[in-house]
Amino acid sequence: MAGIYIFSDRADIAAEIVGFARAAGKEAFVMALGEEAAQALTNAGADKIYAIDGDSELIESYAKDIAEFLIKAGAELFAVGATPRGRDLAARVAGYLDCAMASDVVSVEYHDNQLTCVRMLYGGAVQEKQVLSGLSVVTIPAGKFEPAQGESTIEALKLKADTRVSIVETAPIVKEGVDLSKAEKVVCVGMALDKEEDLQIARDLAAVLGAELGCTRSIAEERHWLPVESYIGISGAVIKPRLYISMGVSGQIQHVYGIRDANLIVAIDINEKAPIFKAADYGIVGDLYEVVPLLTEALKK
Amino acid sequence: MPLVVVCYKWVLDEADIRINADLSIDLSKAKGKISDYDKNAIEAAVQAAAALNGKVAGLTFGTADAKPSLKDALSRGMDEAWYINEPQASQADGAGTARVLAAAIKKMADVSLIICAEGASDTYARQTGPRIGALLDLPVVTSVGKLEISGNTLIATRVLDDCLQKVKVELPAVVAVLPEITSAPIPGLKAVLAAGKKPVTELKAQDLGVDLTPKSRVTEIKGYMMDRKNIIFNEGETAERVNNLVAALRKEGVV
Repeated sequence: MAGIYIFSDRADIAAEIVGFARAAGKEAFVMALGEEAAQALTNAGADKIYAIDGDSELIESYAKDIAEFLIKAGAELFAVGATPRGRDLAARVAGYLDCAMASDVVSVEYHDNQLTCVRMLYGGAVQEKQVLSGLSVVTIPAGKFEPAQGESTIEALKLKADTRVSIVETAPIVKEGVDLSKAEKVVCVGMALDKEEDLQIARDLAAVLGAELGCTRSIAEERHWLPVESYIGISGAVIKPRLYISMGVSGQIQHVYGIRDANLIVAIDINEKAPIFKAADYGIVGDLYEVVPLLTEALKK
Repeated sequence: MPLVVVCYKWVLDEADIRINADLSIDLSKAKGKISDYDKNAIEAAVQAAAALNGKVAGLTFGTADAKPSLKDALSRGMDEAWYINEPQASQADGAGTARVLAAAIKKMADVSLIICAEGASDTYARQTGPRIGALLDLPVVTSVGKLEISGNTLIATRVLDDCLQKVKVELPAVVAVLPEITSAPIPGLKAVLAAGKKPVTELKAQDLGVDLTPKSRVTEIKGYMMDRKNIIFNEGETAERVNNLVAALRKEGVV
């Protein structure tokens, strides 16, 4: 049946994509791997839930058969939650269909019944709008749409898996740092910090503010001063705190991508031409070694 | 001898992009570079080839502007490069790009591993690896933070949102790697000099019989500007600047 076919390994994103389909006046069919995952989606408002039944625990391994199923079903869009598993599955399905795909869209809508997507290029410096025609694939990040609600029934769907890739083991991710994506306030250190022990200046400011400590990619990946979970940017944490204060961060595009949804951006840097000031609500041009301790003291009052 | 193919992209340096007041984009000052994460992928390919006792072929699809990439790429330890020099490359979408790369790989002998970075620093679409896998009907492993090769078996550790997932696959396969897979050392002078003598195969999309008509149509490109207050305290004593900032933050209700 025509309509939007949906997959996400996260139930919340699946419900949000159903919300998108509903708002567009389209039928919504959600696919899930296995009965248990399907059960978790019974209140997501879909017209039907397909519980995929096959020989692999890896949803990505069903790409070829999902592509064939979408053609047979007369699907108009395969909309997938933008998580690592989802992106992999979506791009492989797009490959088997040899069709258009828009990844990690900023927005997606039907405009005169044409699927129109906006996405970011160059680490967020540029926005591109594109129109996809024919059966297409999109990946949609969390939080783009209001989740739909309403009960739906489950139908089993036997699919053939590519069993060439198999799981050896899974291990929990040991997070050394905090989950910055949920932080209310973030103090971020950049490469203008000279020595690892000077992180104390940032920690003192963070303590006064009740903020978490974050950093740029180079601080985590080149200098290894903070765990990788702490770095903010397009390939790291994307955050939306009420307050973000940077110290010694130049503000490369990839970093700014990670803070664009911050409510208030404050920058402290010695270089008045640093791009971070263009992205900031407030800034102080000055030596962080002078400014930050004074700021910490002033905030104590 | 087993061949490891590593795909890379020549992109404009995003740091050089200027956004005009009317949100149009000025690329005139932008220089090219090998996409940042591709440099890590190239090094991963060199290491994988060593484990396989094989060779490394770099593969790139771009316009005539991508030519300078060859020397840089070849100095990073690959044995040869394939360059699909195609004016239409600048308009190609993810589907067309993958078709060209897959068609070029089909022309190579004894391919046992294809490595791509997870995404390119311009589009960051993260489609190329999985699409190539689909077009060649090869197994695919993405989000790879660690690779181990023993005999013909590849063990990859995938970094997912909720877990680290170790998977196993027999080669040939396509792997998309994260930048953390390995560092990307800056090539030494000797490697740079040797790069000029390495073989390059140059082809057009037509030679590969690939139609590049895009499946998606770009209707608008514009710069993104954050709407921020841009109140910068850059005059007076440091203490005064700090006091001004604190007053502003109190007014905003965030401290």
